[in-house]
Parts: sequence; structure tokens; C-alpha cells
Amino acid sequence: MRWLIRRVLKKGKSSISYEDDTHYGEILTIGRASDQAIFLPDLRAALNHASVTAVGNGKYRVESLIIAGIRVNGEITYSITVASGAVIELGSTRLTLLDARGDYDAAVEVSTIDKSEQAAISSSRKKPTSLSETWISKRWPSWIGFVVVLLLGLLLPAATHVVPGLNKVLRYSPLPSTAFWNPGEVDAAHKIIANDCTRCHQNAFLMVRDTACTSCHASTKAHADPARFNIPALGDARCGTCHQDHNGNRGMVSQAQELCADCHADLKARTRNASQIADISDFGSNHPEFHVNLPGWSGNDEFTPKSMPWSAALKENSGLKFNHEKHLKADGLNAPNGRKVLVCANCHQPDVAGAAMLPISFEKMCHECHQLGFDTLAPEREVPHADVPAVTYTLDEFYARRGLEGGYADARAPTIVQERRRPGSPPLSRQEQVEALAWARDRAREAARTLFTSKACVTCHSINTTAGADGGWHVAPVRVSGIWYVEASFSHAKHQTKACNDCHAGAASSKASNDLLIPGIDNCRECHAGAHSSGKIASTCIACHDYHRSPLLTLDKPAPTAANR
Amino acid sequence: MHDSILTHARSRYLWISLALSAISIALYLWHDPAVAPNGGTWLGYTLGTIAALLIVWLMLFGIRKRSYSTTLGSTRGWLSAHIYLGTTLILLALLHCGFQFGWNLHTLTLVLMLIVIFSGFFGVYAYLRYPTLMTRNRESATRDAMLEEISEIDQNALALADGIAPEIHAVVLRSIENTRLGGGVWTQLRARDGSDIAIARIRAAIEKRETQAGAAPPALQAGQTIIAMVDFLAGGADDKQSEALRKLIDMLSRKRALATRVARDIQYQAVMEIWLYIHVPLSVTLLAALIGHIISVFFYW
Repeated sequence: MRWLIRRVLKKGKSSISYEDDTHYGEILTIGRASDQAIFLPDLRAALNHASVTAVGNGKYRVESLIIAGIRVNGEITYSITVASGAVIELGSTRLTLLDARGDYDAAVEVSTIDKSEQAAISSSRKKPTSLSETWISKRWPSWIGFVVVLLLGLLLPAATHVVPGLNKVLRYSPLPSTAFWNPGEVDAAHKIIANDCTRCHQNAFLMVRDTACTSCHASTKAHADPARFNIPALGDARCGTCHQDHNGNRGMVSQAQELCADCHADLKARTRNASQIADISDFGSNHPEFHVNLPGWSGNDEFTPKSMPWSAALKENSGLKFNHEKHLKADGLNAPNGRKVLVCANCHQPDVAGAAMLPISFEKMCHECHQLGFDTLAPEREVPHADVPAVTYTLDEFYARRGLEGGYADARAPTIVQERRRPGSPPLSRQEQVEALAWARDRAREAARTLFTSKACVTCHSINTTAGADGGWHVAPVRVSGIWYVEASFSHAKHQTKACNDCHAGAASSKASNDLLIPGIDNCRECHAGAHSSGKIASTCIACHDYHRSPLLTLDKPAPTAANR
Repeated sequence: MHDSILTHARSRYLWISLALSAISIALYLWHDPAVAPNGGTWLGYTLGTIAALLIVWLMLFGIRKRSYSTTLGSTRGWLSAHIYLGTTLILLALLHCGFQFGWNLHTLTLVLMLIVIFSGFFGVYAYLRYPTLMTRNRESATRDAMLEEISEIDQNALALADGIAPEIHAVVLRSIENTRLGGGVWTQLRARDGSDIAIARIRAAIEKRETQAGAAPPALQAGQTIIAMVDFLAGGADDKQSEALRKLIDMLSRKRALATRVARDIQYQAVMEIWLYIHVPLSVTLLAALIGHIISVFFYW
């Protein structure tokens, strides 16, 4: 096999000349030993460094003969088959394998790599020695991070505000929707509209309007008329001032004392006396005595309670005569079915809501002992309760029948009434009828008088006897249980762990029904105090009072302004 | 006393940060909003505004440290303030959100901010620790000088190895090819260099010579020195060769020491820089999240 070895000789800067040589042999050996086909006097070459074999079709096989390997086409290798044009680098020599030409079977070009080129190659092969030379970067991750977050975090959710339906699509996709903006869970009652931000946030970059609230919460009462009470805070207050959503299930009713106290601390001065409500700023330290609603009636028995500040000396008029002490005897009372010990709950039972007490029911609570019989000869008969005309009807009818039927065994009655009628005896004559009915009328009147004035009714009720003669008895109206503090929302249910006596202390020893057994503010303050109290229940205004309480105004119908009133 | 970035100007920025933190905590405790503390109360808005301005200002540090002509205080002062006020930001942001978190953009902003700040903490640690280690490691040489010395040793080792045996020459040649200082991110951070392989190869070559000489191959134990190996060799090789081999091993040990120092130098530098590849891109990402956070909050006010 004939090898063409062409040496490139550089003379000066640009002139190049070639020196051809021929090598006979199958293998082209490369190394520093003198017997090598290509002899390289370079310490970086081993004595027998590598060999090249022509394998035909213009291909060569390059093999390294030492463990350091040989660099072919820039890569260290031990054995490789390459096409012509491949470059072997060894120290400062470059061998380029060429196509066979002329009558040669193989060809190789030998050239020298000059110093500057060697330096360039070694610096290009140098590994990075600082992070800035490696693939990692600060610039493109910054750009990617910035753009991705801005796009997904801001622009895409914002686009849902202008592209209808987009939010629905996004919510069913892994991409962020406006839910990604949700700063906190909405209130339980609002969950039904939570997926549609625009239900409340109707306009971008504007606070939630009250109209968004009143579209559902229609006819919610306003607080007070801003036209009457010229307080900027009242007119400017939005629903959102007190009701902030996205705070989870904490509820949306603000308990803050300041919301009320900011105005009510000096309300009279603030409204220039338009409001006469006392100045209040804190339940524990600055709250007037409760105004208790004492029962009272107008001339024609209309219930007209009278509101006045609670005091220990205050007496009430329930219309009833009742001695708590007598009824609450520890060893009980003699009742028709044996001894009976009464407790508060026998008569005072809460209503279904647990807030107030049910009215006293005579039939359920009193009647077992206080029966309304009127005739010892007919002890099972009683007059009805709480219906004066029905009482007289009952008596009239009872005695009329007794008179006409006869057989009424009372020595004071006329004979015709005492006489028992036998079957077949003739009917009463007109004269006899008149006599019997006259007796009956007198007897009924007497019974009524006894009931009303000495035996039954008068035990508990005040009876007006001046109406007397025609049977028109007048029983004074009664109000035993009711709402004593109309401005506050008190619930017995929330206080049921307390004993009745804890608040209604004097009840067990009260002898007269005009004792006011309703407690005043000091009783509440034993446990409750204002927002900033320590050691007591922090009770803010809203614990007892409503905000939405205007009798006339509702939120969906704004107050008429002073101009168009 | 040495004025470090932490004690700059008598720890002026530490005191400023502590004061800012104390005021914020006091306001937070005193503040009694109608609802649970959140970013929407007046204190929430106030703390949020301060925190947002702080973030923007902290990011300006990246510009400040490149502007060499500025008269706005020293870079050291800026860095000191950057560290302390950046740390205070954790508190401000947590008080701003009232410790409310969720799967949303707002908490993403917080998380990004925390990652940026904690990567910064690593940076502080690196800046305080590594410059000293770096100086000690370099032994008052420069990295270029060490590299130059390595390439000189390579040349001499080749010449010396050639005089011993072709296998040794090949091993040294290979070791030169394999001496790769630096490399990818992991390689730089782990401070690996190829010198160990070269030494191992020489040991193998020595062993080979031993076997050929008929001597029992010594058990290579961890911790045995290269010099000891040469002593084993003494029986099989002639004095001249042993002498040359001993010299070669000395040379390669010196090279290895140098290469290790260069690798460590690269490592120190990489460790001092690597956190910036998290700190900087995430701070820019944080800026986008912050913009989104602020705009989205007022978009649906």
C-alpha cells in the first residue's frame, strides 16, 4: 500500500509550499520514535502513539496505542473509523486524512499548529471556571419569571373581566382564574356567588357599591336618616364599611365598638341636638342606666308602656296581684292533688326562640288550685276565665235552667225552684216562669258579685265595681311577661346556664306584684363590659343593639335629601 | 474593630431596622381592626406600602452596585442597609397580611419574597465566610499564577516521565489531558479535579513494574503515601529510574495540591455567586408578583 505524506511548509506569512513523501505499508504509524512513519519530535507524543489504517472507500481507522488516547476531530478517542477529511491533533502537529489520489492508496497532510492557534484551541477547550461561563444565567430566568408571573398572575385573570365566559373556562382549566386573586374565603352565605367576582365587584378599580349588596339584600333597614342627622360618617358609610368579606367563616358582621362609639360618644353635639339619644361609648364605662318599659294603660285599656330609667325603687303595675313569696315556699303548697313545690319555671316558660318568656296562662299555671266554681250545689261547674261577658252569660244560663227545671235544693229559693218536676206534671204557668226566672237573675247576679268581688277574680285582679249594677264588671288589664327592654335584644336562651335568681334576685321574697323584678345595668355589668375590658366578657354595642333599625328608611331606597323633601 | 457589612457605620442599619420592626409590632398589637387583621385595614395598607417601597428600593441595589460614579453613599453602606431592611421585610409582610395565607397570588408574592430573602441570608453567610477562606486558600498567589505553574509542571513532568518508561509517559500525558479545572455548575460547586486519577494511574503503573520484577504486589492501603510506593519500587527499578520516579511523584503531588487549590478557589467563587442565580431572578419574578398583587387587590377593590 502506498501512502502519500504531504507536509505543509510555511514560509513567511502567506506563502505555503508542500513536500510530498511516500510511505509503503498497511499501517501509518505516528509517534516520537524514529521508526514511525510520521515522526513527531514532540514530548506530547508517545514513542508509538497511534496508528492509522486505510480500510477502503476513503475511510480510515485511527487507533491509539497508549492509554492517553488520541484526539481525532477534537475528541480524545482510542479507536475510531473516520472518513477522509478527519483531523488528528497531536501536540503541535495536525494530521489531515485525505482522499486517495493519483496512484496512492491513501493520503495524509501534515501541518504545524502555530503557537497562537494552539493557545486559541486550548482556551476554547478550557472548562468554565466561573458560574458566569456556564449555562446558568440570571437574565433569562428573570425575564421568564417576570413575564410568566405577570401573564398568569395578573393579565390572564384581568382578561376575564373583559372577555365574557373566559373565567368559566379558566376555572375548569389548570390555568389561574380570578380565584387566584381571592385573598381569602368568602363568607358562608356568599359561597353561592363566590365564583363570579363581578357579582359584587361590578366595576374594576372601584370599591364594591352598595347597590351590589342591595340587589339581594333589598329592604334592609337603614340606620338613621342622614338628612336629619347631619353626620358625614352616616352619609358616607358603605355596606363594606362594616361588612367585609373574604375573611373566611368569621362572619361579616363587624363587632367593633368604634363603629358605633365614634358617633355615639358625642352624638348630641355632633347632630347639634337633632338626636336626643344619650351619649354612649362603652358598655362597661359609659352607658346610661337602662330604660325599662313599664306596663301602663290608657283610659280605654290600650297598652301604653312607659319608658323610664331603671332604679331599684321603681315599682311596676302589671295589673295583677301576686305574691311570689307565698307561691315559692320551699316546703310546697297544698294543691288538690297533694303538696306541690313551685319553682320559677312552673309559670315562667321561654318562648320558642328562647328570647322572651311566654305570657302566663291561667288555665295551665293557676287553675289547678285557683278554680272558678260558683255554686256549692254544682261544684263541678266553673265560669270561663278572662271573658267577663262569658262569665255573666254562663251564670245567667245556669240559674235560668235551674229555676225552670226546679229541684234546686236551696232553702232560700222559692218553692217553685225547689220543687222537683215529675214526668207528666203540667208545664209551669206564666206566673211561675216569671217567678223562677226572677230568682235565677238575682241568683246569677249574686254569684257574679261573689266571684268578682270576694271569691275568685279579685284574688288576683283589680276589679272595678263602679260598673256594677248591669253586670258590666271591669277587670284591669294584665301584662306580666313581655319585652322590658325594647331597645336591646336580650335572649334568655343564651343565659340559661345561670339560675333565675342570679338576675331576678328578689323574686323569692317578693310579697307584692308591683316589685320590679327586672334587673338593671349593674346586674349585666357583673359579667359584661365594653370592648376593652379585661376579666369580663367584652361586649360591644352590637351584642345587644341592632344597627339596621330605622323605622322608615331602607337601604334600597336611599333617604330623600334635604333638597327634595 | 473590623467594619463588616453587618457592623457598618456602628450597625446603623441594624438599629434602623430594629426601630422599624418595633414600631410595626407595636402598631400591630395596638391596632384593633373591626375584622381580622389583613392587608385592607389602614395599618395593612400602611405596612403594605412601606414593604412595597422597600422591595423596589432593595432591588435598586442591583443598579446601585453597578454605578461606580454615584455619590449616594458607599456600596458597603447600601449593602448593609440592603441586608437589614431586607430582613425587616419578612416581619413587615407578615404583619401586612395579618398572618393570613392562601393558595393565591398574594401568598405567592410572600413566598417568592421569603425565598429571595432567605437566599440573601445565604449570600450574607457566603460574603462573611468565603473571602477569608479564599485568601487563605490562594496563599497570596493568584489563580492565574497557579494555573501557569500547573502548566509548567506538566511540561517538566512529561520530560521526566519520558526518561523513565513509555507507560509512565503515557500516564502523565493522559493526566495532562485529564487535568480539567472547572466545569459545569455542579463540578464547580463540588470542587472536583482530575489529579486523583493521574496519581492512581501512576500507582497502577508502579504496581505493574513491581509485578514484572517478580516482587509481591503490595496491598494498597488508604493513606499510604506516594513516597512509600517509591520505596517498594526500589527493588525492581534501577536507582536512576527510582530517583526520577520519586521526582515525578513529587512533581505530580505538587500539581495535585495546586489543582486542588485552584478547584477550591473556583468552588469558593462559585458558592459566593450561586445564590445570586436564585436571588436575582426570583427578585425580578417577585416584582412581577408584587405588581400583580397590588393591581389585583385594587382591581376588585
